[in-house]
Amino acid sequence: MAATDLQPARAAPIVALRGISKAYGATRANDGIDLDIAAGEVIGLVGGNGAGKSTLMKVLCGVVPASAGEILLDGQAVRHLHDATTAQAHGIRMVHQELSLCTNLTVAENFFVEAPEAARWHSGWRGPYRSRAKAALEAVFPGHGISPDALIGDLTLGERQMVEIARAAATPGVRLIILDEPTSSLSARRSAQLIAFVHARAAEGLAVIFISHKLKEITEIATLVALLRNGRMVWRGGASDTSEAHLIELMGGTEAGARREHVAGAGPVMLRAGAPWSDQTLALRAGEVVVLSGLEGSGQQAFLQALFTVRSGADRSAPVAYVAGDRRKEGVFALWDVLDNIAIGRLPGRSGLGLIDRPAEALAAEEPAARLRLDAGRLRSPILELSGGNQQKALVARALVGDAPVILLDDPTRGVDIATKQDFYRLLHDLAAAGRCIVWHTTEDAELDHAHRVLVFAGGRVVADFAGAEITPAEVLAASFKAPPKVAEDQGVAGRGALRAVSALLPYASLVVVLGLMFNANPITASAFGLELLLKPAVALVLIVMAQMFIIGGSEIDLGVGAFAALVSVLAATVLPHSTALGLLAIAAALVAYALVGALIQWRQIPAIVVTLGASFIWLGVGFSIQPTPGGVAAEWTRTLIRWKIPGIPTSIILICLFAAIGLTINRTPLGVTLRGFGNNAEAMRLSGWSQVRYALIRYGIAGAFAAAAGIVLTAVNSASDINSGTSYTLMSIAAVVMGGASLIGGVISPLGAVVGAVTLTLLGSLLGMLNIPSDLNPATQGLLLLAILAVRSLSVRKEDAA
Amino acid sequence: MKRLQDYAQANRWVWTAIGVALLWVILSAVSGRWSLSSLSGIVLSASFLTVVALGQMLVVTTGRGNIDLSVSAVLTQSAFLALVVVKGDDGLIWLGVLAAVALGVGVGLVNAALVIWLRIPAIIATLATGYILASSALMTNAVNFGPRVAAPGLKWLAAGKLGGVPIFAMVTLALVVVVALVLRHSVFGARLSAIGQSRAAARLAGVRVNGVLAAAFVASAVLAALMGMVLGAYVGGAFLEMGQPYLLQSVAAVVLGGTLINGGRGTALGTWFAAILLILMVTIMQILTLPRGTQDLVQGVVVILVLALAARSPARRGARVPAPQP
Repeated sequence: MAATDLQPARAAPIVALRGISKAYGATRANDGIDLDIAAGEVIGLVGGNGAGKSTLMKVLCGVVPASAGEILLDGQAVRHLHDATTAQAHGIRMVHQELSLCTNLTVAENFFVEAPEAARWHSGWRGPYRSRAKAALEAVFPGHGISPDALIGDLTLGERQMVEIARAAATPGVRLIILDEPTSSLSARRSAQLIAFVHARAAEGLAVIFISHKLKEITEIATLVALLRNGRMVWRGGASDTSEAHLIELMGGTEAGARREHVAGAGPVMLRAGAPWSDQTLALRAGEVVVLSGLEGSGQQAFLQALFTVRSGADRSAPVAYVAGDRRKEGVFALWDVLDNIAIGRLPGRSGLGLIDRPAEALAAEEPAARLRLDAGRLRSPILELSGGNQQKALVARALVGDAPVILLDDPTRGVDIATKQDFYRLLHDLAAAGRCIVWHTTEDAELDHAHRVLVFAGGRVVADFAGAEITPAEVLAASFKAPPKVAEDQGVAGRGALRAVSALLPYASLVVVLGLMFNANPITASAFGLELLLKPAVALVLIVMAQMFIIGGSEIDLGVGAFAALVSVLAATVLPHSTALGLLAIAAALVAYALVGALIQWRQIPAIVVTLGASFIWLGVGFSIQPTPGGVAAEWTRTLIRWKIPGIPTSIILICLFAAIGLTINRTPLGVTLRGFGNNAEAMRLSGWSQVRYALIRYGIAGAFAAAAGIVLTAVNSASDINSGTSYTLMSIAAVVMGGASLIGGVISPLGAVVGAVTLTLLGSLLGMLNIPSDLNPATQGLLLLAILAVRSLSVRKEDAA
Repeated sequence: MKRLQDYAQANRWVWTAIGVALLWVILSAVSGRWSLSSLSGIVLSASFLTVVALGQMLVVTTGRGNIDLSVSAVLTQSAFLALVVVKGDDGLIWLGVLAAVALGVGVGLVNAALVIWLRIPAIIATLATGYILASSALMTNAVNFGPRVAAPGLKWLAAGKLGGVPIFAMVTLALVVVVALVLRHSVFGARLSAIGQSRAAARLAGVRVNGVLAAAFVASAVLAALMGMVLGAYVGGAFLEMGQPYLLQSVAAVVLGGTLINGGRGTALGTWFAAILLILMVTIMQILTLPRGTQDLVQGVVVILVLALAARSPARRGARVPAPQP
């Protein structure tokens, strides 16, 4: 159908795509696509896997540039490059399949990240976002039961999806929402609510693009349907002009491949599985193609994993090869070429000390590569340069090359074109005929045609076992609904709650224990004078810990922060006493250099740990050049800064509380939330329009300010400076921050915990002295305390969460 | 030219080798003589660093930003242990080697256990074991265990020369070759690279991930321990801060050499050349009588510059090519 004959004569569409093409290497993911999206329209975008839907939407959102074609916004051609910012300014929002929420932030804070304009710099700034989140969720999903103060990380997948949809819908000025498989993790009730909401908002003029594999849903929700196939728009028309069957036909769904031989050769039993999968023992034989079917997520993948690891009721008598479903995460080795990616399949069972004869391995890998019709000229190319389908072929070749008699496949044809699929089906049958046992998890009902036997899963169990002629899509579908599928909705995490609470309290408990032991060993320490004496060295450490904490909040580590503090300490002991202005200028210059290091890390995308390590040499070098041996004097005004007194309260405690309060406050401001957002999900922040380099600059600026303050305090306390004193602070600061409840990845930090950790580590040394334990044991005690706290914490977190 | 580029791309040590050659020319120019013997002294100093850095490289190659921060403490502790066990007696060197290996295996296994079972990030786990070892070195130092002298045999190994070539430099070169062969041509090397790229994919490809991980931590600790024994003999004793410089420099040598800090690709030759490069740099600055502060400064700038320039090399960009998404 031509592109022009459906153009309605009305106001210019919100967005119009003209001849959009996008090529990845040799693959044409999009090929000359035209699409108009007008206000109030609900467009159902359908197509098989790999038809180019996601690519088209990425082009539309400005996430990837088109290779060719034009994008018109309100009838105006985009003059500059169409990018994410332009798309957002135009009111285009996408709800991604991979969620783009920051799991370390609350629901309300995630609403802030998406629309920061309403944030103010006062303590109640979350209020408007809280009510906005509540109202948005209520509008789409009445009776949602999600608290705006809940951490996203504590929500179920379905709940996160609800938050994501509500957030996009509530964005001020939104005109077009793209929903990519929005109902995949929603319950039937929530899906119905979403569809009702889409209808209501469309009536008010919102445009919606709805991508779904559930064609029934599409015909229910859409006013227009656009169908992609192999990157081309092959059909477009009113939803009333089409039907489920029609769409399937257009997608090429009825194209039957070589029909299966229904009867399998009865080979020896290769795999057995009993409880908890099934009441009777299932025996899978050589020569069989066994398909695992059922609704998505009903236990098929867990079953494959059990067969692979020989656990939880599964047993096998032969080596096994596994073809991963998630190519990018669990399949390819990105640094290797195609042949190496295949050849690793020959390694299982060999001794680690064995030598690899590379030419021989390559030769062995070429055989299955040829069998899968991989282009022989590209076998030495990096695997990521191949198309998705060819990468998948390489992974199958990897399973073949080791000659394992059992092959487990986890939905290997996802995102693979029809021709490759047909190759796969033929190959699997040949393999079975040659005496291998094939266990194949699929999410495509059409692939049931190729099974000798089908195990249907529901609620984590095998509920039906069909063989040969018994296999019909209708029977399989009926069996899938036999046991009620587990509803993931509203499932809490109460189980580990208690242990989690204990582990959260541990840093504080450690401080109480250390203080208790100290007061007991030497009652004088409980006096204001005693505490002042003991806590004085902690003040600088607390400041350095605050600095390190903001860096760790960004999922980075600064190995130079102690050296930087020492450099500022040197400046404060040498330049500052002579000229306040010059001294402050020098410190400010150091601070700028420090912040630039942070920006460099983001700009060049280089690992922070090594860059800050290199920077530590620079700080040390400059400090050493200024003052080779410990010495100098403190400027008088810096001494008065820490020498004031309020009777009865140790000054150190006041200072520590003050610095902790500053850290805590920054962490809770919109800025602090933004910084943590970057630490958790930088990609999502970028998609929401935040600049990574700018916030790296700000992050390191804040950290540098704390570290500089630490340097000034160090000089004031000691009345001298020593450039070599800094290094020990660096490691101590990491220990304190982690002890206090931060995780090195994921942007989770706890300012109070970090301060408490710093104080505990400082007091530990004095305590050992009072207990007459040799001070040599001080580092070991610190190390053991750190390990003990982390051990309890790791036990309180589920393994999958930590991975 | 294209082939040369491809070769350098696949063998990232080439760049550091070129750097070494250039610096040596500069060194010869500033010192006013072309001599191989000056190079041999540098190579010996670099050898000490190389041995520690090779272990560090194996840990870095396991990926996920893993770094072994306990190497310096292991090195120091081992130097003390050697003094206690060997007692300056050539007949007891075997016992010293045994003790060093035992120390390395023990520390490596503890590090691996913390990382694997308790899922503590490697950098924190090794930081903590480093603290504990620091205490044990302090306590050993405080004990009066007799004369603190190195065995002549160890001294010969550390400082001796054969035909003008330092013995330990040859030992290290042999070690570099062995590690390079292991990385490139052994089953273990392939597995190590695999887990460094993707643990999930490696597991599904039949690699016992935890075993490989543990082996890397053990190798790192054992190499640091053996180095501690040799270095102790070279300096004629042991002192508390002797391991300290090796912590930062080993990481610097690994990264400069072309090993990917994100894991998956290590290079023994590159690490060796990078160690020489670092020592050469320091030597040149010493000859130029630059003050120590300037020397540190230049080292820091070089590390950051090399990283920033290498960051968007095609190898890394290749890892980021967006695959066509369904």
